[in-house]
Amino acid sequence: MILYSLKNLKKQYNRRTVLDISKLDIQSGNIYTLSGPNGAGKTTFLNILSFLLIPSSGRLAYLNIPVKYNEKYLQQLRKSVILVDQHPILFSTSVYKNIEFGLKVRKISRKKRKTIIESALDLVDMKMFINADARHLSGGETRRIAIARAIACSPDVLLLDEPTADLDLESRLTIENIIREIHARKDITIIFCTHDLSQASRLTSKNIYFLNGQIHDIYHENIFKGELVTSNQKEYYCKINEKILIPVQSTDKDKIKISIHPGMINIIDHKKSDSDVSLSYTGRVTHLGMEKEKIRAVIDIGISVSVLMEKAEYDLHMLRLNDSVKINFDVDGITII
Amino acid sequence: MSFLIDSLLSALKLMAALDAALIDIVTVSLKVSVSSTLIASLIGVPAGFIISTNEIPFKRSIITILNTLLALPTVVIGLFVYAFISRNSVFGTYDLLYTQQAIIIGQSILIIPIVTVFTLSAINRIDRRYRKTALTLGANQVQTALIVLVEARFGITASIVAAFGRVISEIGISMMLGGNIRGFTRTMTTAMALQYDKGEFILAVALGIILLSISLFVNILLNYFQGKTSE
Repeated sequence: MILYSLKNLKKQYNRRTVLDISKLDIQSGNIYTLSGPNGAGKTTFLNILSFLLIPSSGRLAYLNIPVKYNEKYLQQLRKSVILVDQHPILFSTSVYKNIEFGLKVRKISRKKRKTIIESALDLVDMKMFINADARHLSGGETRRIAIARAIACSPDVLLLDEPTADLDLESRLTIENIIREIHARKDITIIFCTHDLSQASRLTSKNIYFLNGQIHDIYHENIFKGELVTSNQKEYYCKINEKILIPVQSTDKDKIKISIHPGMINIIDHKKSDSDVSLSYTGRVTHLGMEKEKIRAVIDIGISVSVLMEKAEYDLHMLRLNDSVKINFDVDGITII
Repeated sequence: MSFLIDSLLSALKLMAALDAALIDIVTVSLKVSVSSTLIASLIGVPAGFIISTNEIPFKRSIITILNTLLALPTVVIGLFVYAFISRNSVFGTYDLLYTQQAIIIGQSILIIPIVTVFTLSAINRIDRRYRKTALTLGANQVQTALIVLVEARFGITASIVAAFGRVISEIGISMMLGGNIRGFTRTMTTAMALQYDKGEFILAVALGIILLSISLFVNILLNYFQGKTSE
């Protein structure tokens, strides 16, 4: 069943278009991830899906009924779609009363409210905090309570804006498990923003990629802004951070934005001398993770570059966290966007 | 020095004996001050909320005018209200001049800007995410407004306490619109002025002690709520 249907939907602020979607259908019962660089329009998109923000133009239909932008109608729609902010805020009262608020709004009896609150807290493994003062919780705990507050209302759609941003690994994995659990137990459609691609691939195969307010089929990673430089008018480079040169095709722009395909970054054997490889950079491995059948490594060469490699290649280089590693860039893997 | 100590001791005796005239004056003072604070709160709190949370026309100009009204002298309000309630004026038929109601009207005008501006500022300090959270959880406009008001409760209470502190100690309005009629419109401040004019300091000192005690209590309350706001 089509949950959301968007057509020629635009959102503008002071004549600047921050969201421009020509066509998109979102099916119910799935988990979707929204990815893309900062400022790509993901949060604006979530705010529109949660009926908290009115689009400047275009059509948005929810369950095949066009959305009417009057407050009473929107309030009814909001009862079935809940957004949990990137930095959720809890009301200055107890955890119990925080979760109770949405249930009171839905006129659920006091007796039922207690059972629902306990069950929601149980789902996020925070039952022991039921009477705690919500102001004294940590960032990770606050997010879990905010998720419990949302699922207690039994929404059809749960929207999460970067639910694991700024959290430590343990808290990230806890939130991931909660998302899986909610989806499995409650059959709620979950749409969430993330910058963590391995997290996205762990939770779903349905990814919507945003760039400059638009949805793109091709996923751009390793996006950097830089300056176009050339020494001989034949070879062109994108100069990033005044020290890193990435080979690019020629273009007439001075300031460019590039994306580097993570599968087309070469890890160079340490035994090779510098003369054998042009423009290589040495950095440290800061992150390693499995992504489907491949290995993703993040290498800090002054900028953090994400590299995706086959397992065989990973075994060949025997990469470990904090290892020093040398990489270079294949010009065919670089796109000016 | 001995005159001051003698006056102080006599004043304390007067207070201990629960002097009828003293009780009368304090009661009138509290009655008009509490009434005007209540009226100002009923108008100022919603006004502050509406100005803070809505994009109303001329918002900046309204805030500037309200800020200017914070410095409004009591005698100007006294004159202004007098012009409307004196015998031959628009509301002359209501016979309000030299009544407690007249003092309440004047004092309310004095503190409505105080409650409005402080409420507005208390709500402006409240994180916008509270409103967004209430809305996404399915709340209607009234329920959302209540959430914001509850979050701003300490700031709003501080504004009401400050307003009460302002009216309990004012003299211009009480004198001009109340007329300092014994047992009817005589407040602590007007009684103190009268006693001073008569050269009788015992009642004046006793009233001064009570007024200072009320001020101290109000300031303790204000401090408490301001402390809660910044928590």
